[in-house]
Amino acid sequence: MDIEQNQAELIDNFVKQASAQKGTALGSVILEATSHPSLFAFSEILALPTVAELEGTENSVYLKVLQLFAHGTWSDYKSNCSSLPQLVPDQVLKLKQLTVLTLAETNKVLPYDELMMELDVTNVRELEDFLINECMYAGIVRGKLDQLRRCFEIQFAAGRDLRPGQLGSMIQTLSNWLGTSDNLLVSIQEEIKWADTMSELDKKHRKEVEDRVEEVKKSVSVKLQTVSRLKLSSEGSRISTLNLVE
Amino acid sequence: MASSSSSGLTFKLHPLVIVNISDHYTRVKSQLNPPPLTSTSATVNGVENQQQAPRVYGCVIGVQRGRTVEIFNSFELLYDPSTHSLDRPFLKKKQELYKKVFPHFYILGWYSTGSDAQESDMHIHRALMDINESPLYVLLNPAINPTQKDLPVTIYESELHVIDGIPQLIFVRSSYTIETVEAERISVDHVAHLKPSDGGSAATQLAAHLTGIHSAIKMLNSRIRVLHHYLVGMQKGDIPCENSLLRQVSSLLRRLPAIESEKFQDDFLMEYNDTLLITYLAMFTNCSSTMNELVDKFNTAYDRHSRRGGRTAFI
Repeated sequence: MDIEQNQAELIDNFVKQASAQKGTALGSVILEATSHPSLFAFSEILALPTVAELEGTENSVYLKVLQLFAHGTWSDYKSNCSSLPQLVPDQVLKLKQLTVLTLAETNKVLPYDELMMELDVTNVRELEDFLINECMYAGIVRGKLDQLRRCFEIQFAAGRDLRPGQLGSMIQTLSNWLGTSDNLLVSIQEEIKWADTMSELDKKHRKEVEDRVEEVKKSVSVKLQTVSRLKLSSEGSRISTLNLVE
Repeated sequence: MASSSSSGLTFKLHPLVIVNISDHYTRVKSQLNPPPLTSTSATVNGVENQQQAPRVYGCVIGVQRGRTVEIFNSFELLYDPSTHSLDRPFLKKKQELYKKVFPHFYILGWYSTGSDAQESDMHIHRALMDINESPLYVLLNPAINPTQKDLPVTIYESELHVIDGIPQLIFVRSSYTIETVEAERISVDHVAHLKPSDGGSAATQLAAHLTGIHSAIKMLNSRIRVLHHYLVGMQKGDIPCENSLLRQVSSLLRRLPAIESEKFQDDFLMEYNDTLLITYLAMFTNCSSTMNELVDKFNTAYDRHSRRGGRTAFI
């Protein structure tokens, strides 16, 4: 996952900066972090004690902004517009990118209409440009644009910061996956056994048929010798009677 | 011979070298005339047979960039058992020829077969030191050990150690990685998938194919199990939360279910039905031709009574 590698350095930098400062100065660090074009992970910064202190003070708006960027979407911002400070265009762009990632969490195929509604984009051309330039070239999503069906098929999307409850559901998904693959392993083994038994049966059947053919061949060759003598004599008498009639 | 790790060079071995060495050894061994087995000399031959395994020698060539040594190719050399050294003029000639085709490759060392590096190998090693100051010794162990998981190839370097006050050159083992070019990967893959040519029955091929899939899924299963265990540990609090890993796992889980759209079901069922139909048709044709043969045989065997005249005599 190269995105994570790219981000690791940036995260370290911002964490150092944020832990060194307090209060309003933190606000500017948060602003810088949320507008940085390659940073999509904010939970490390959120976890810092200096940032958590912002709760309840006059700078708590910055904390709210950080939380919005960590877990929220563009529509969350629009509905809470009043309590949050004005966002810089870089931040707007980043929030929209993060919105796409959140949408990718639930569905693998995103219809254009839904995307346009969530991202406040009016025409398809703009939406596609946004998806191609901002999302795919940044490397946070990989997928195919299906213009005929007006949807975006996502093959890979980078992970967003985890909400506290998500860990449980991830573990659930993993255990389901494990269960399915275990069942599959068992059924494959049964198929292999079935294939082997069927080939055994087939060989046995073939052998039986050949044995019977051999038996019949032997008995027929014995019969032929006796039958031929009988037939010759009866045929000889028949021809002689025919001649007599003529 | 110590078995410690070496001076910090990283070695990359290409599969072509391994295949070359094993091919050389197999050729020489199979061309060796088997000793006559008589009852009187059986015990003598028994002892000799163990020493019959021939040793083959050759040179390895490749590129050295900084601290990375990449071994690309190898060629065979003549060994002169009387002088215990390699044939130098032959080596020179081969070296020139290879230089013309691969101008970037240098002689990096030499190879041989056997189970362990021996003292006599040091002579050859020293002899090669005038071409390359620190040559490599690649050793292939031709004994087939079904329980062994790793490749029986070891790379030795020479180091100057002071033993009993005398500086001596000894072999030290170094680790290496296997590096493949696309063409090598295709041929290795081809060799790995060799099926027995007379095991043509459908059942054995099916079983082999299924076994391959089974082992692949088993590997995937074990790796997912590790992830699962790790996440459970993180949830319980035994392991500190590592956010970047969690993000990667969540993006991985988002790729599931991998195949579930309606379009896939339609295409899959259509292809499945087509295959079944074709198999049915083939079965049909087979049956009807067998039936035809049976009827012909029946007619020839039992219909003689109804024919008028013209019954051939078989005296």
